[in-house]
Amino acid sequence: MADNEKLVFMVMHGVEFPEHASIPFVMAAAALASDVEVVMGFQGPGVDLVKAGVAETVQAPEFPPLAKLLADVREMGGKLLVCGPCCKSRSITLDDLVPEAEIVAAGRFIAEITSATSTLNY
Amino acid sequence: MTATLEQLETLTADKVIDARGAACPGPLLEAKKAMGSVTVGSTIEIWSTDPVTKSDIGAWSAKVGHDFLGSLAADGYDRVFVIRRK
Repeated sequence: MADNEKLVFMVMHGVEFPEHASIPFVMAAAALASDVEVVMGFQGPGVDLVKAGVAETVQAPEFPPLAKLLADVREMGGKLLVCGPCCKSRSITLDDLVPEAEIVAAGRFIAEITSATSTLNY
Repeated sequence: MTATLEQLETLTADKVIDARGAACPGPLLEAKKAMGSVTVGSTIEIWSTDPVTKSDIGAWSAKVGHDFLGSLAADGYDRVFVIRRK
């Protein structure tokens, strides 16, 4: 990645807000295409977006399907970090998530955010 | 680096990407993929029906180090030209 630039995208909205759910993926894909390292962090209702099969159900008007955006981010090497307690409260396990997703705790989020060029919250 | 409209009209791109109908960031991602399939110094031409693609590809080219040449209006879409520089 050029100049060690890194962006963190914190995703707090889930399937009930398709536009809010899609925009961070659009931004993450554009960042990856611009040679910027990307970490996406999913918390609260946002964790549902990286459950296997869920992205296929989300389509915001005038945006690409979320499944396409998620595939683009995965293909270009974006990291997908998912809040552990948020998963636990929803009975979500690692087996329920898309393959590249990783369940993490607060310390990992803080490490990613404090080492990033910038963090964007959605 | 930009080209005149006359220069663009006579330019033959090494690769043409038809991203018409794709919503943001589709044309940008198609341009990114296309850059990996041409040699440095080659020109790619992106077709897009999204009117912001011109400025988006221009900003992206400046960010990553390619030469944005400009765009031509076609029949309901834009033809956007970039030279791979890295």
